[in-house]
Amino acid sequence: MQDHSLPRRRSGREKSSISFDVTSDMKHGISELEWNDYLDGPGTVELRDRIEAHMIGCLECWQLYERLSDATRELVEASEEARSGLPLEDRRMHAMLRGIFSRIRSGPTKSHIEGRLNLLEGVLTPFCGSQAALSALHAAAQKSPARSLDRVTPDNWAPFLENLSAIATAMCGATFAGLIRESGQL
Amino acid sequence: MEEKQVIDSFLSDRTDEAFCALFEAFCVRLRRYFLLRGLDAATAEDLTQDVFVKVHQRAGELREPDRFHGWLFAIARNEMVSYWRREQPRLEWANVENPVVEPDVISGMRLTDMLRTLEPAERDLVVLRFVEGLSYEELAEALKLPLGTIKWRIFNVRKKLARSLAASPAQRAREIIN
Repeated sequence: MQDHSLPRRRSGREKSSISFDVTSDMKHGISELEWNDYLDGPGTVELRDRIEAHMIGCLECWQLYERLSDATRELVEASEEARSGLPLEDRRMHAMLRGIFSRIRSGPTKSHIEGRLNLLEGVLTPFCGSQAALSALHAAAQKSPARSLDRVTPDNWAPFLENLSAIATAMCGATFAGLIRESGQL
Repeated sequence: MEEKQVIDSFLSDRTDEAFCALFEAFCVRLRRYFLLRGLDAATAEDLTQDVFVKVHQRAGELREPDRFHGWLFAIARNEMVSYWRREQPRLEWANVENPVVEPDVISGMRLTDMLRTLEPAERDLVVLRFVEGLSYEELAEALKLPLGTIKWRIFNVRKKLARSLAASPAQRAREIIN
């Protein structure tokens, strides 16, 4: 992305007002994705050689390249300016970090987890019966780092929920699994 | 410490120290992402905090450190979308996505002028790619789009900006207003 130097720039070629076709997917044998790779790159040797050999004889593509290259350069420069132009005071940063720790420490508790497990059981039961619902919860916990349902905590909740979603997919399909995933968000 | 070490250390150790190092490495970047997407400073800081709380809670989901940037900015984007949804009854979607009055901190920046000529989804791409330096793979992860679509959209952004730069000042003003 950093190299935007023009290849073998030729003298005496002024930018004309010829507008480039912005709708075609491929122009003169060079696709938009290839142009994009070349502007980022210059990409692979094969791509670079092909595009540059073509541009030597094609004023239209040369102008297209120049305009896109200029726009990219402007964008890169403006982005650099934005990166350095939005600092954050240390004082604010520390206040934010304190706020985050305060929220983490008062975050999901054991009773919160129990409540969420009850909710998941309640969502599963109408679809597959209470025994299957309970079995699914146990199986998801056993396959997770928690190893058993009573050891599921906020720390290992995510892999547990993923396992449960996978089981729900097998039992009732992807839409139902999505419901389980949503219901299980802490 | 290098950014990669900070990420590896957080994902493997999960200590408070490692989390603080991660916060220091990414706090400014997340806040900047929210600011450049048109949110005011207070909201940008609130959402940055929300993202870090989620990162702390969900770190177990991420097993490949190389996917961290895409994963982090996917959380950030989801938080921003949730914020817009929450605020929708109070603010018109169009006004939130295309704020008439930008936060003071970004008004006057060259990048702000460029972002104004783009669609909201394209602004995400520009900020994440050119300001935050995400790779195409990381962009695909963050925006949940195929790699080819990401590249094609980036190319479209280049074309739009090229057209805008070639336009007369009056035409450019019209594009920005529209």
